[in-house]
Amino acid sequence: MWETLAQAVINGLLIGGIYALVSIGVTLIFGVVKIVNFAQGEFVMIGMYISFFLATQFGIDPLVSLVVSMPVLFLAGVLIQHFLIRRVLGPNDMPQIFLTFALSLLLLNLSLMLFSANYRTVHTSYSDAAWHIGGLYIPVAKLIAFAVAMALSGLLWVFLHTTDLGRAMRAASQNRDVAMLMGINPNRVFAVAFGTALALAGAAGSLLMPFYSAYPFVGQVFVLMAFVAVVMGTLGNVMGALIASLMMGVAESLGIQFVGADSGLIVVFALLLLTLAFRPSGLGARRGR
Amino acid sequence: MIAQGGNAMTGDRKPSAINNAASSKASPKKLNRRKFLAKTGGVLAAGAFGAVPLRGWAADPINIGALYPTTGSMAQIGVGCVAAAKLAVDMVNEAGGIKSLGGAKLNLIVSDVQSDTTVTRTETDRLITGNKLSAIHGCYASALTLIASEVCERAKVPIITGSSSDQLNKGRTYTFTPFARASQFAKAQLQMAKLVSEQAKVAVIFENTAFGTSTSNGLKELAPGEGVEIVMFEPYSAGFTDASPLINKVKASGANTLFSLSYLNDLILIVRTVKQVGLNIAINGGSGGFVMPDFYKNVGNAAEGLQGVAHWNHDVSDDAQKVNVEFKKRTGEFAFEYAGGLVAQTFMLADALERAASADPKKVREALSTLDVSSGFAAMAPGGKVKFGPDGKNVYGRPVGVQWQNTDLVSVFPKEDARAPLMKT
Repeated sequence: MWETLAQAVINGLLIGGIYALVSIGVTLIFGVVKIVNFAQGEFVMIGMYISFFLATQFGIDPLVSLVVSMPVLFLAGVLIQHFLIRRVLGPNDMPQIFLTFALSLLLLNLSLMLFSANYRTVHTSYSDAAWHIGGLYIPVAKLIAFAVAMALSGLLWVFLHTTDLGRAMRAASQNRDVAMLMGINPNRVFAVAFGTALALAGAAGSLLMPFYSAYPFVGQVFVLMAFVAVVMGTLGNVMGALIASLMMGVAESLGIQFVGADSGLIVVFALLLLTLAFRPSGLGARRGR
Repeated sequence: MIAQGGNAMTGDRKPSAINNAASSKASPKKLNRRKFLAKTGGVLAAGAFGAVPLRGWAADPINIGALYPTTGSMAQIGVGCVAAAKLAVDMVNEAGGIKSLGGAKLNLIVSDVQSDTTVTRTETDRLITGNKLSAIHGCYASALTLIASEVCERAKVPIITGSSSDQLNKGRTYTFTPFARASQFAKAQLQMAKLVSEQAKVAVIFENTAFGTSTSNGLKELAPGEGVEIVMFEPYSAGFTDASPLINKVKASGANTLFSLSYLNDLILIVRTVKQVGLNIAINGGSGGFVMPDFYKNVGNAAEGLQGVAHWNHDVSDDAQKVNVEFKKRTGEFAFEYAGGLVAQTFMLADALERAASADPKKVREALSTLDVSSGFAAMAPGGKVKFGPDGKNVYGRPVGVQWQNTDLVSVFPKEDARAPLMKT
């Protein structure tokens, strides 16, 4: 019994690491730029396709292609912020919502057109490998993905707390107007925040590639969990999103294991509603941002 | 656009409506109404002229409509179907066409139904009204075929299809299904499980959609009669991120056979996870994406020994192997079930046309209903015989059990169709 439980927790934590990369991106953009990026899942998809094509065309391992997918998506994020998002930042929310939503639809259909709806997988030497410890097993590809995801989250935390730019981003997220009065250039800060968030999505894509199929709709699978984690971990709170993502992963896994294979999301959303009932602004609210 | 109108005149069988719509869209913005009418009217006239069969010394070609999703989510198999349909028409034509009609050649008119039920309805309508068709084949996907067949019934044009939905055999007179029906697939899967182990303990996992629920219920009903015990029966949410918790449950159930009623992506995750866990269990992945060349490419070695069911396989007969060689030459992949089935279907149509000695769709239907073949490409189905009952079902139709062995999909069940023994992994 405890073995099944332990295995379920391991499974949940490992997939939660991937949710974390996606949700940290969403929460970073929301916290700093104050918009909801509905297209975040599609950038995960693009990260996956970058890794897929590098692997099939040039034989580059998906994990190594992280060094390509992250900068490419960072640049894409800076450009999108500069040419699209910046223009709609104003008192009215609707254009922002439609902009990122339209971006999501555009990228989805563009990839359907370019890559077709086929499932693409990359088979690496460690794709099917697993470590067996007692009665438990740990899939190698997922463990690597989890470790890298945690390392990237840690790096981001260090960046936000120790560098001037990072501090400027936190300042802008706390109060944009005061930050501007202190001489922080909001456009620069926003561009870096958007780029960083997309780079994390790209990293998630590359890390997924050894064990998950790439297809145009793949982002939608992950973005739903990401949004739940972002709300649960308090909007704009990076650490909250990280912890909530891991919790979501474990809740989903336990739900499938002990309630029913089609009830993973039921448990996740029940947990979300419970959290919101007792802590309306999420788990990370008390810490302050 | 004008060049396209010209094509219509030289006998290109593109439906004139396409030319028409395309040219009006491409017209300059500042057209006044008179100019617009003059232009579209001209193209219409050209299209109408093109649609008139050109009388000459050569026999008129016989138009066969082909409805397949070549774009959208079902495009992967649809594109393969079109390649097979072209191969089949070439084979018939190279063998001398329809002799009773003066060696008339088959002319394939392909229409993209875009993986969408609404588009399927309008495209089928347009294909029938825009062309003089003798018969139609399509759409492989049951959801689309059901709609296309309704339109064909109303227009009284015969449709022959590889779709397996049992609904296609209800209250229809112009629909012909030469291959095994969905209800027969479940039975074959259960019988294969008995081959793996006398005490077959089956875990059935299925996605909680119409497809998964109906197929799994079929399995549940048939299992006691086949002497198979179902030890786990579990729906799951399609499109999960991680199959590990589900496979954990399968492990705990003590099953020795796993039936996974899943679409390709979920199935890939399930198979990989079973290997990671190190679970020793026979997996039957059913049909559809599982029996496609792409499945092996995606899963690799882990696919070895996996079982499935198909309505056709490339090794069921010598003729099938010939078709496979040709198809491989053209596409680089082995002929999958729908591709090979389509070649057989085209030869069934040719056989009917030959006996009808007419391109009239009603006469072709009559001839199809009395089709009775046991040799040649038209009989290239598991069982080797085709004869349609009053419900349009091939009375000899049966599925073939297949298994991935040494990177190839091999027929292993029933004994009559088996080309290799079932590996009990």
